[in-house]
Amino acid sequence: MKLFDKLKTLFEGKFGDIFTNNIIKFFDFSKNTTQVLELKDGQRLSLDVSKGTEEDKKKAKELIDFIVQEEKDAFFTDKSAEKTQQIKRNLPLKNDEELLKFYRDKLKPDMLRAIEGSLVVKNAWTKGEDISELKRDIACKYPNFGNNVCNLVTGGYFENYFKELYENMFEQEDFSILDYQEEVERIVKSLPYMVFINRHKSYEEFSGEVKFKLDKLKKYGTEKFKLHGLGKDNVEKALKIIEEYKEDNSVVIEKYINPSKTIITAIFRF
Amino acid sequence: MKISPLTFNKDVKEDILELFGKTIDEEEYIVEKENINQRVLTPKGEEIRLEEWAGIVQGSEAFVKSDTFSLMEIAKKVE
Repeated sequence: MKLFDKLKTLFEGKFGDIFTNNIIKFFDFSKNTTQVLELKDGQRLSLDVSKGTEEDKKKAKELIDFIVQEEKDAFFTDKSAEKTQQIKRNLPLKNDEELLKFYRDKLKPDMLRAIEGSLVVKNAWTKGEDISELKRDIACKYPNFGNNVCNLVTGGYFENYFKELYENMFEQEDFSILDYQEEVERIVKSLPYMVFINRHKSYEEFSGEVKFKLDKLKKYGTEKFKLHGLGKDNVEKALKIIEEYKEDNSVVIEKYINPSKTIITAIFRF
Repeated sequence: MKISPLTFNKDVKEDILELFGKTIDEEEYIVEKENINQRVLTPKGEEIRLEEWAGIVQGSEAFVKSDTFSLMEIAKKVE
């Protein structure tokens, strides 16, 4: 191993006895008890520059330069090295790449990047890996929509729903890509108080879900709830649900339907 | 590019920075030791706090942040 040889060349004169041990498996820079170079747990060779002379520090710098500039490796903290490996094994591939390709010329760069990051989260989650830090980073980078994008990607909404939305909007005479971008953004931001009407559940199931969510939102005071449906059948399903609330004086409903009756957005205010 | 098997622990971040002539300012941003008013930037021009510093990659001392998006760029280059 080139790294081991370099370490040996640099430090053998002073710590030769350490290098006679053949079971060194790991290397790191960390705090040592007394020495610049120490063997921990019999397997980890650890360097502590704070305990070294100026000469030792020069050698440590030479070692890092060797790693980064000659070997062209990334010199990272143990945690970031692990996180990079996790991201690497969950990077978007095949279907995910196709998905990104579809949205590349349709969505704003920030939204696209949030989707790309969320695909990494989805892939890691599918493998049962810990996704808390990855997810937190997406929410921090895009506080207005990162967390919701993550949930929508994990739920598969970008594979179907937003594609279908594009196809339906594209058919409209006055279609503009800006309208689509704004609509996606509106839907993403509304996620916590939104129900998507789709073909996977019956009218009765959605009716119950809307009632449950409305009661909850009324209790926690968001004062707004949205229904979104794509396709003629789902628009009809949504209209049937809206009909249930026509006698309810505590709710005011605004509904927006496109001319070909394939997209519906209904806003319940209370 | 590979991830080096030689890593560093978060407790020694400041020792490593010192090797590169860097230190941290009052707000814990990484700065040049000889001019603490000059904050070190990532290749994308972002300032880096000690806590969010991932490490170094090839380039003229290219300092990298540890968030998912910065590491995603590195991960794409890792063999």
